[in-house]
Amino acid sequence: MTAHSNRKIMSVALGATVAVGLTACGGGGFSGSGDAAPQNTAKGPVNLTMIIGSSGDAETNAVKAATAAWATKTGNTVEVVAAANLSQQLGQAFASTKPPDIFYTDAAQIGTFAKAGNLFAYGDQVKDAGFLPALVKTFTYDNKFWCAPKDYSTLALEINTDLWAKAGLTDADVPKTWEELEAVAKKLTTGKVTGLVIGNDINRSGAFIKQAGGWVVSEDGTKMTATSEPAKAGLAEVQKLMKAGVLKFNTDTSPSTGWGGEALGKGVAAMTIEGNWISGAKKDFPNLKYKVVELPAGPAGKGTLLFSNCWGIAAKSPNHDQTIDLVKSLLATDQQMKFADAFGVMPSTEEGAKAFAEKYPDSAAFVKGGDYAQGPVNLPGFNDVLAKFNSQLATLGKGGDPNAWLAELQKNGTAAIGG
Amino acid sequence: MTPSQQTSAPRQKRGGGIRGREGIAGWLFVSPLVLILGIFLVIPIFMALYVSLTNWQGNGSPFTGGEGAQFVGARNYLDLFTRDGLTRSNFMQSIGNTFYYVLLVVPLQTILALSLALLVNNKMLKAKSFFRTAFYFPSVTSSIAIATVFLFLFSNSGAVNAFLGFFGIDAPQWFSDSRGLLHIMFGWVGVDNPAWAQGDILGRSVWDWLSGPSVAMCVIIFLVVWTTSGTFMLMFIAALQDVPVEVEEAAALDGTSQWQKLRLVTVPMIKPALFLVITLGLIGTWQVFDQIYVMGKGAPAGTTLSPAFLSYQQSFENFQYGSGAAMAFIIFVIIVVLTRIQRRVLTDKDERTPLFRSLRRGGRS
Amino acid sequence: MTTRSHPVKTVLFYIALLAFATLFIYPFFIQIATSFKTDAGAVDNPLSLVPNPFSTAAWSRMFGGTNDSSVPILTWTKNSFLVALIVTVGRVFLDSLAGYALSRLQFRGKGALFAAILAVMAVPGVALLIPKFLMVNYLGIYDTYYAMILPLIVDAAGVFIMKQFFDSVSISIEEAARMDGASIFRTFWSVVLPMARPALITLTILSFQGSWNEFSHFLVVTKGTPEHQTLVTGLASLTSGQLGSGTQYPFKLGTALLTTIPVAVLFFALQRYFVRGANEGGVKG
Repeated sequence: MTAHSNRKIMSVALGATVAVGLTACGGGGFSGSGDAAPQNTAKGPVNLTMIIGSSGDAETNAVKAATAAWATKTGNTVEVVAAANLSQQLGQAFASTKPPDIFYTDAAQIGTFAKAGNLFAYGDQVKDAGFLPALVKTFTYDNKFWCAPKDYSTLALEINTDLWAKAGLTDADVPKTWEELEAVAKKLTTGKVTGLVIGNDINRSGAFIKQAGGWVVSEDGTKMTATSEPAKAGLAEVQKLMKAGVLKFNTDTSPSTGWGGEALGKGVAAMTIEGNWISGAKKDFPNLKYKVVELPAGPAGKGTLLFSNCWGIAAKSPNHDQTIDLVKSLLATDQQMKFADAFGVMPSTEEGAKAFAEKYPDSAAFVKGGDYAQGPVNLPGFNDVLAKFNSQLATLGKGGDPNAWLAELQKNGTAAIGG
Repeated sequence: MTPSQQTSAPRQKRGGGIRGREGIAGWLFVSPLVLILGIFLVIPIFMALYVSLTNWQGNGSPFTGGEGAQFVGARNYLDLFTRDGLTRSNFMQSIGNTFYYVLLVVPLQTILALSLALLVNNKMLKAKSFFRTAFYFPSVTSSIAIATVFLFLFSNSGAVNAFLGFFGIDAPQWFSDSRGLLHIMFGWVGVDNPAWAQGDILGRSVWDWLSGPSVAMCVIIFLVVWTTSGTFMLMFIAALQDVPVEVEEAAALDGTSQWQKLRLVTVPMIKPALFLVITLGLIGTWQVFDQIYVMGKGAPAGTTLSPAFLSYQQSFENFQYGSGAAMAFIIFVIIVVLTRIQRRVLTDKDERTPLFRSLRRGGRS
Repeated sequence: MTTRSHPVKTVLFYIALLAFATLFIYPFFIQIATSFKTDAGAVDNPLSLVPNPFSTAAWSRMFGGTNDSSVPILTWTKNSFLVALIVTVGRVFLDSLAGYALSRLQFRGKGALFAAILAVMAVPGVALLIPKFLMVNYLGIYDTYYAMILPLIVDAAGVFIMKQFFDSVSISIEEAARMDGASIFRTFWSVVLPMARPALITLTILSFQGSWNEFSHFLVVTKGTPEHQTLVTGLASLTSGQLGSGTQYPFKLGTALLTTIPVAVLFFALQRYFVRGANEGGVKG
């Protein structure tokens, strides 16, 4: 190819660009930045779009029913869409002119979404609902309470009661401490069965860090504490149980399993650590019998993790007033109980949590966890940081040095906080 | 890959009046093409080039400046290479992954396609069209549909492991196995993360760069070779049919062996097609996206990340559009450079213009 | 094999060939069989071609038998056909229009334009994901059929095919038509296009296959809501986790099969054109 023809192509390309650019100037579909985020009020009946990350048909249908009820009452309409990959779909939608008005927002995403100016902070307008304090903290970033917690789940210990009885264990043996946990796990480990099988990321092992008295980020979210003693001690305990052969990650079981519930259901695990969604295992494995107890306490006392979504409202939505009204209707105790009935999550308000504990005594351990639970890291840019750490942690069963991973987490996290 | 010789029609002299009319008609006829390619291809490339020089986070317009879209110069590009951090380490890992992917896919699919073409082109073969159809069929179906089938075939309780189990082979957990093939081989000779491999190249240790494709990536490699070979086989068949019968017969009379004939006669005769297949292979493989999207999005441990997928994720999930666009342009540059190098290696000095001649013969899919 | 071969050798040759053919085709048979299995049956007997127990649950769910609104396969199918048909018609017409002009008409800037088209063909598709998203957003057509269809409605490769074809066809008939006073478009429409039938069929197939199987473009220009999902993007969302719990292979593989069928039918009906399509130059020169 000669220089001459090269130039020719470039000049033609540029020429076409300019020519078409002129004709395309009618566009300009990007709307202004939503930094100031004033509250938008549309008049008359509005059509709201809601994107949810659904656990299945039960959840989708329950949300549809709830929004339809509000729509009928107020004369508006709500379209509910179950997303395949919520965060990617939201990412595209935010950059477009037409983001959904309301959407599930994972607690871990709050910082990322808020920093990019995608969220409308309305938490204070619905604060009277009486949310659990841990949830308010989880959805607070940069001193703003961004959105109304939709519901929550906590981790607890699930025990296969058949295997439990078979190992000669009784209710009195339910582990209260790390030592007791190791002891019962040892008793339950036989042949194909591993005493305790947990998911292979920080969302399970992190509970041990909490029980050791720390977390990977400081309380106020301004600095990393991933190399603190509790963090090291928590992972060291996981590693210790693993080396003793009484704990395995779900990916290391044989056959490997998708999550703790599957390991429990397939009988390769006698115990697992999962949240309220464990009820899903009942559907896949109708014969499974298990009970739920609180996680054992570590050297620093009780600790668990909580997971939650909130009702995020788009900064760019023209219908803030109506959407907040919709959220209020979804926060009512009886509505939250309907969700709980349909797909097992716990209501986000104190009143709702109480109603839930009364109706579902078997799930009491999950509710109690709410008192001492740690929410996910909600700082911007932490998706990649934790993804990296998780990919390393997943290999713990094959050896490796957790302290080195924590050091890298500390480094990457510090860089992310720095901006 | 750039054109060097235009294969435009022979220019005929025509009457002046007609030419004036033709001038208008000509531009009218091509105007939809110019408009669409201009609006959806040429201008967007310049828009993205600009975005790659900003820190736009996907809110508001990227072109008005202000807090949401500051001009940061080449920072996004420099960061990918020089700034110690996650973005660089992910990007470098994706480059490493894709390097091994290309290194295996391109030769494998070229050899398989050529072998199939030689088999099917055999003059004595009965049911030629049946075999041609069988080998080509995977190429016409959707990459997403095929990937779905492979997810099932290679799942832990899937058909492949059932088949291997039949022979008593303890099969790996394909999609969760992040071990690199080369690391596994080093393991055989007792080498594991040795001292000599601790040096740091662009934020990754030499040992990490030497991992080879992970077991999970091998499934994707197998899938891609399996789906693309059919198309390339057809290109080879077309080229083989152009080899003059006399040349073959002459070779046969000389008493050359089959292998010699292939190496000395056939391959040189179909060199343009070979060149084309390798070029298209290089272009296609560096862009791998669809399969990555449905087969784990980079899992396990980031060993199936490709730069194309990372660029998408960095933009639409992490809202780092500038950095994501920068990655896309780097892939673009990699592809251009590689096809140029390959062209230089594979062609003699006096015939350095074969691509579009062969395009005419061979074609794109 | 060029010379007379030993029978044993021939048999071995066919066995090798059949083994290869099996490797290429067997996955599709497994796919068909699995779509008629139960979830448990799919996992227990992954290799078997005989569903046992036989179940049509996956198919009845696909066709709305279970009143499951989360997987609106019919909407996806409708979108797939709508988009693929419009794109195909658009490409066949506009590509041949442009190809004809580039081949036969003399106009200023033609050589440069053709060079630019070749350059455009060399731009890798993935580098265009973010650019397309930006432009579609800028024009305010994000998440519309316009955004799905317009960027695909002309393609440089198709123009290239048609130009090659017209270059290879004798010019005399249309010259005669032009002498008779027919306008340029009229000549193109009633004289040239009918002659170009083989190339048009090739182009039709390539366009339909390309737009039916398109994934990344639809991914970035739509929200991923069912309204604008096609079978391919819908299937991708099923496969990458929309279904939530359970593997549900029969349902996924059934949907993948449904995604494959239209192109497969076209493939078997017009096989010889397909083969030609892959060798676009096969349009005899």
